[in-house]
Parts: sequence; C-alpha cells; structure tokens
Amino acid sequence: MDTAGASHHPLNELPDDNVPPAGPASDGRRPRKRGQGELEAQVLAVLRSANGPATAGWVQEHLDGDLAYTTVITILSRLYAKKCVTRARQGRSYTWTSASDEAGLAALRMRRVLDGERDREAVLARFVSALSPGDEERLRALLAQTTEKDED
Amino acid sequence: MGVFVYLPLVLPLTALPIARLAEQHLHPRSATRLLAAVGTTLALCSTVCLALLMVVGTAQLPGNPLPDGWADPEVRAAVPYEERAGVVAIGVLVAVFVACGATVHRHVRQRIRATRALQSLPSQPSPVAVFPDPEPYAYALPGAPGRVVVSTAMMECLTARERRALVAHEQAHLTARHHRYLLATQLAARANPFLLPLRTAVAYSTERWADEEAAQAIGDRRAVAGAVGKAALFAHRSPIAAPAFAAFAAVGPIPRRVAALLEPVPPTRLWPPSSAHVAFAGLVATVGTTVSALSSLNATVTLVRILHEATPL
Repeated sequence: MDTAGASHHPLNELPDDNVPPAGPASDGRRPRKRGQGELEAQVLAVLRSANGPATAGWVQEHLDGDLAYTTVITILSRLYAKKCVTRARQGRSYTWTSASDEAGLAALRMRRVLDGERDREAVLARFVSALSPGDEERLRALLAQTTEKDED
Repeated sequence: MGVFVYLPLVLPLTALPIARLAEQHLHPRSATRLLAAVGTTLALCSTVCLALLMVVGTAQLPGNPLPDGWADPEVRAAVPYEERAGVVAIGVLVAVFVACGATVHRHVRQRIRATRALQSLPSQPSPVAVFPDPEPYAYALPGAPGRVVVSTAMMECLTARERRALVAHEQAHLTARHHRYLLATQLAARANPFLLPLRTAVAYSTERWADEEAAQAIGDRRAVAGAVGKAALFAHRSPIAAPAFAAFAAVGPIPRRVAALLEPVPPTRLWPPSSAHVAFAGLVATVGTTVSALSSLNATVTLVRILHEATPL
C-alpha cells in the first residue's frame, strides 16, 4: 500500500522524508476532530511567522501539539500542491516558504468550505453550477448568438 | 382515520407536474413562492400523518408512555389499519428527523465556516468580498449583513458590465432571502422524498429569479446572459467542477438560464394561466395539497378524540 500510495503522491519527497499517503487517520494519536483544513491553516500560520525559509523540523517544533514529522511533511506537500508555499532544496531536505499573505490564507479557508459542498446538496448556492459536455456545446452556441447580435 | 392517514404520504406526487411546468410558464418569482409553499405544506402534512401512525405504533410497544386505556380493545378497534404500519412509521419518522436535523446542522455549519473565512480576509468591510483564488466561484452568503463572495478568477474572466451583472445577481439572492426557500424545500425533500423534484425546481427558479432581478437592475439582459455563460464555461475548465454523471443528462440549468435571458422578460401574471397544461397541473397540485391538508387534519382530530376517550381524566 505504501509504494502504491507513494506513486500516486503528486510530489516526490526525498527518500529520507518518504511519506506514507497520510490522511488524518495516519497518526493514530491525533484526535479526529482536528480536520486537515485546520492543520493546513496552522502550518501556514507558523510558516508565515518564520519570516523566511524554514525546515519542516522547525515548523514541527513551533506547532502547538505534537504532530508527527511525517504529518507535517504531508501537510506542507499539500500546501505546495495548492501553491500556498514554495520550497527550495537544501542538502537532503527542503526548506519551505509561505507564498500566501493573509488574504491568500483567507482564500484557502474559503475554498475549503466550498470544496466540501456537493452540487446537489449545496448550502451556498453558487453563481454557476457544473456543466455536462452537451451543455458546453449548447452554451457556446448560445453565447455565439449573443455576440452575433452585438455585431449587428 | 382509516386510509386517509396514508394519503398525505403519497399526495406529494401531485406537485410534480406543476414543478415541471412552472419553470417554463411562470415568472421565476411566482414559481419559487408557489413551489416552496406547496412543498412545505405537503411535507408538513406528510410528517403529521407519520407522527400519528407512530403514536399508534408505540401503543403496541410494552412500556410505552401512553395511558393504559389506550390498549383497550375498543380503542384498538377504532384504529384498524395502522397496527403494522405504526411500527414501520416509528422507524421512518426517526429517519425523517435525523435527515432534517443533519440538513439544518450542515446549513448552520457551512454558514459559520464561510463567515469565519470571510472574517479572516484583511480588507473589511464591503458588500462584495473578493478572495484571491485561481478557481472561479461566486455566491451570496446570507447573514446580517449578507455579503457577496467572489474569487479574483471569476472577476477576471468577466467584463466590467458582466461583473456588475454578477454582483447584482448575488445581491438579488440576498435581498429576496432565497436561502430560506432553498432550505425549506431541502427540508421538505428530506421529510418526503417524493418532493425531491420540487427542491431541484426551486433551486433553478431562485437562480432564474436572481437573473431577472440582475437584468432589471443593470438594464441589460444580454450582459447577464454573457456573465452566466462565460462564468460557467470558465468554471468548467477547472477540474474540480467536473460533473459526476453527465453523458445522458438533459439540457442542464446553465444553458436554460442563458436561453431564458436571451428571450424577452417573462410575464409576471399568475392568472389566467398561460396554457391549458399549466392550468391542469396547477389544479392537480391545488387539489393534492388541499386533500393532503384535510386528510392530516382529519387524522389529527380522530386521534385527539380517541386519545381523549381513552384517557381516564
């Protein structure tokens, strides 16, 4: 499972950081109620307080609560995939820098709220819902119609 | 009570023709109000009847909290059909309450989480909150005061005029408190799954309603159509928004909204109905709702009377 998960993992960590495909369940000690989103926000807040590149170990030390090193790496990798942090290789590991300002962090939070929504049961009704492939063609035809009229 | 107690459980089916036709023939404002009212009434009647069946059901359980007289053979004889159904109703009613509770819980939680995310945005306060996000989205967050939430990606894909249309659309949601109609019909669909199409219809008609309000506010139907169409196409490119099942779908809501905006303003009149189909569907829904209400009233009265007779007070 470990190897299969690692091949799916979007980021290739260096060998010594080899991360299991960790969800919240990977660390048995952590209480279930602390969601992924909250942890991402915490890690990002710590990273922002670093005023420069920081190692995963530094982030782990400055986090409240005892998170496993691998968990911290997983969260950082996830933030990297979302373009919220940048990283640079330093020796055998990475140093991480926050790429988000306060507004970016707020946007991350908001996106997380919206990602939890399903189209059919949405609480926050969005401006546009999902399109089917057939809809896409119909819609392009309709929009072409509006621009034709504009040109008349 | 007899068979009447079962009627409100199936009569929500009478609302389906009007749910289908309202979207084509009624002004979205009228459609939303009509469908939400019909759906809520039918759901309440259905739940009342379930509750009555449940009371009969609990009477057969040992250690029930009902008065002893309830178990008398005369009383049993007065409620002939409901013995087995009563036990089933206990389970169903519990399921309905759990489902409704979960829906309300999710609403409250989502709104709290969105409000928290909004508060963490440094630039405050403005009626339109813009989040720096590469994924396009826009929605109205109800509250006091309600706020329009938009991502920068959504803003960037629209022209200035279309942006105004988008904001006017979302503000129309807030002003007319569309979230209440949506929640009411979601709960109705939880109470009786036959009402699910009504929920979908109301979700669509509130969007159409806001589209019409926006078109009126900025005085340009085509700009609203352009905003809806472009935003949908742009959002479609982002992989997250991919629909789960699409191949055999009928024309989706977005092309219908755009097509409706390219037509003239729909008539606001509710009477006389625009066609014989609408008149007939309206009649069916009205009769269904009335019979449903009367049946549950009849069942309530019967039950109260039996309860009264059986209680030695």
